[in-house]
Amino acid sequence: MLRKLMISSCLAVVALSGNAYADSSTKVALVPGGPHPYFAAWEQAGADAAKDFGLGSAEYKVPQKWELSMQNQMLESLVTQGYNAFLIFPGDPVGTVAIANELADTGAPVMALAGCLKDPSDALFCMGTDTGNSAYLGTKELLTKLAGGKGKKIAHFTGFLVDPNTQLRIDAVNKAAVEAGAEVIQVIADIDAPEPAEEKINAYLAAHAKDVDGIITTAWVPAVVASNALRKIGDKRIVMVGIDHDKVVIQAIKDGFVHGTMLQNPYGQGYIGSFAADKLRSGCKVKADAPFKTNALTNKFIDSGTVFAGINEADNYVASMQKITKTLLASFEKTYLSC
Amino acid sequence: MNNTTKAADRTADAFGPDVQETSSQHPAMRLLLTNEFGLIALILVFAVLFTLLNPGFVSKFSLFAMGRTAAVNIMIGFSMMVVIITGGLNLSVGSIGVCAAMAAGWLMQSLGLPWYLSLVGGLGVGGALGALNGIVIVRSGLHSFIITLASMSIFFGVMIFLTHAGSFREIAPEVVAPGRMKFFGVISPLLLITFVVAGLLSVLFRFTATGRQMLAVGASPQAAELSGIRVQRMTVWCHALSGVLAGVAGLMLVSRTGAAIPSMAGQLGQDWLLPAFLGPVLGGTLLTGGRASVLGTLLGAFLVTMLTTGLLLLQIAAFWVQTYLGLLLLVAVLMDLLRRSYLARKKLV
Repeated sequence: MLRKLMISSCLAVVALSGNAYADSSTKVALVPGGPHPYFAAWEQAGADAAKDFGLGSAEYKVPQKWELSMQNQMLESLVTQGYNAFLIFPGDPVGTVAIANELADTGAPVMALAGCLKDPSDALFCMGTDTGNSAYLGTKELLTKLAGGKGKKIAHFTGFLVDPNTQLRIDAVNKAAVEAGAEVIQVIADIDAPEPAEEKINAYLAAHAKDVDGIITTAWVPAVVASNALRKIGDKRIVMVGIDHDKVVIQAIKDGFVHGTMLQNPYGQGYIGSFAADKLRSGCKVKADAPFKTNALTNKFIDSGTVFAGINEADNYVASMQKITKTLLASFEKTYLSC
Repeated sequence: MNNTTKAADRTADAFGPDVQETSSQHPAMRLLLTNEFGLIALILVFAVLFTLLNPGFVSKFSLFAMGRTAAVNIMIGFSMMVVIITGGLNLSVGSIGVCAAMAAGWLMQSLGLPWYLSLVGGLGVGGALGALNGIVIVRSGLHSFIITLASMSIFFGVMIFLTHAGSFREIAPEVVAPGRMKFFGVISPLLLITFVVAGLLSVLFRFTATGRQMLAVGASPQAAELSGIRVQRMTVWCHALSGVLAGVAGLMLVSRTGAAIPSMAGQLGQDWLLPAFLGPVLGGTLLTGGRASVLGTLLGAFLVTMLTTGLLLLQIAAFWVQTYLGLLLLVAVLMDLLRRSYLARKKLV
């Protein structure tokens, strides 16, 4: 009797305290749309989150190809394997909604990571870079370096047109250019893969390098290829602002071929996403009045942060990313969850 | 052997595997030699293997998901098969499938047409694009590889231009329901649709003059011409049928995803190329034309889907899945060869 009373008391205390504790049965799957260096940080982020928050596991599962059907098939197999929380980069913002809803129907919390699902969907929220804002800020940095940008000519190298973020980036770069009185003389899209990026960027620079004052890149592969191209032609006159933290880009910043890069926060997305997944499995709910932002796809958006890294930050860009993560995590539960 | 006889003989080959060589043998013995029997045996072997290694393989969710994925892959295989029988190829199956799906989505969402008219419209677009391929091929005299390689980009590019890469989400519930429904908790209605189409294709090739003429054209165009078959017309019909079947696959994906999206078959529709070839080739459809195996294509595509699902369930590292899939397919083909050799040695056939 006494034992029952004690157990009941403990349960009551836990229930009344409103706290949710880590659940070792939580198996989080972090699933990108396909192989891409941007997502590589998710693997460490999941492992760190599992260790730090006491989860059963938080594993990075990559579809071997960028195919919507391949990602869907992998997600279905993960359910069978016992994964019970999903952090997904949607292979397609609309096309992935159906599988996300099916996963949610199994009782698993589903969150979109690095890219959003188009509302309505059963995803609890979307955490990623505010791509438009990142492109805008990057272009501002570029134009500042170009003496304010008035009358300057810039080229924009970006990702796939089927990715809705691409149009947001194009619009943001144009907006920043117009504000500064600069001109975007060329947009090259559909090149977030090595082969088309090499072909188009090298061909463009071979023909028009002399006509360009600045380059803004808003996708990983074009940033790497453009950095290499500027190094090859030895041109430090053209000012370039890249994106992400590929070693090639960071080294080019150190060597003076690239002015800086707009860091995103894939590590933080994976780490905080895994933390949130476990909390949600442990009884927490997403606050109805959480201060989500709105973007072109969803009104449940959380900005995982972006920051400019120039020559002074090139050696400690990891610290810059960790700082963003730490700041976001510190207030995440209080801001977005009700436990 | 004159051309007419040759065409007739090779056309006969189209109706079933190894009919001529084994016509004097017992039907059960003939069955043992068929591709279809080999594929069924392989499916059973791998099903047992995967179930032993991971019992989740036969869970209701897994079986449902596998059947739904297989339904689309089989349909994609059919859309390639009906062109391969003419000795040609259709590299634009993915592109046509997406165009058909987007057309149906546009008719439903933008024009507000009833769902059944929209589906017919989508299939019509698929058929028209396929027929266009066929017309250009017979008029130009160029190989279908070149023409469909070009049309793959053209169709996809025009679709992206017209839709601005946007999706159509206002899909009628009647269209979306089959993608989510489960019969007995396991069977997807999409799989049943595939079986119905498989049945119709079997009837076409086995029991209709048009089907026989299509096969005759693939076996020997010259002989078919001499036999009075309008070769060019049959080629166009095959491509049109391929377009319709690609459209069916596209609409099945619309049902699956609840939306018509430009990326459903990847960039330029290229994601469909592998399943398009694997099913027919594993199933015994001759790349040189003249022979079709509807059941073989169905089983071949199902085997590939099953292997992919099984490997994913075994948690094979993602980047090794493709390698293991290739190895397993090689093993599958070699096992089939061994089976035939064994039967021949034992004089069972």
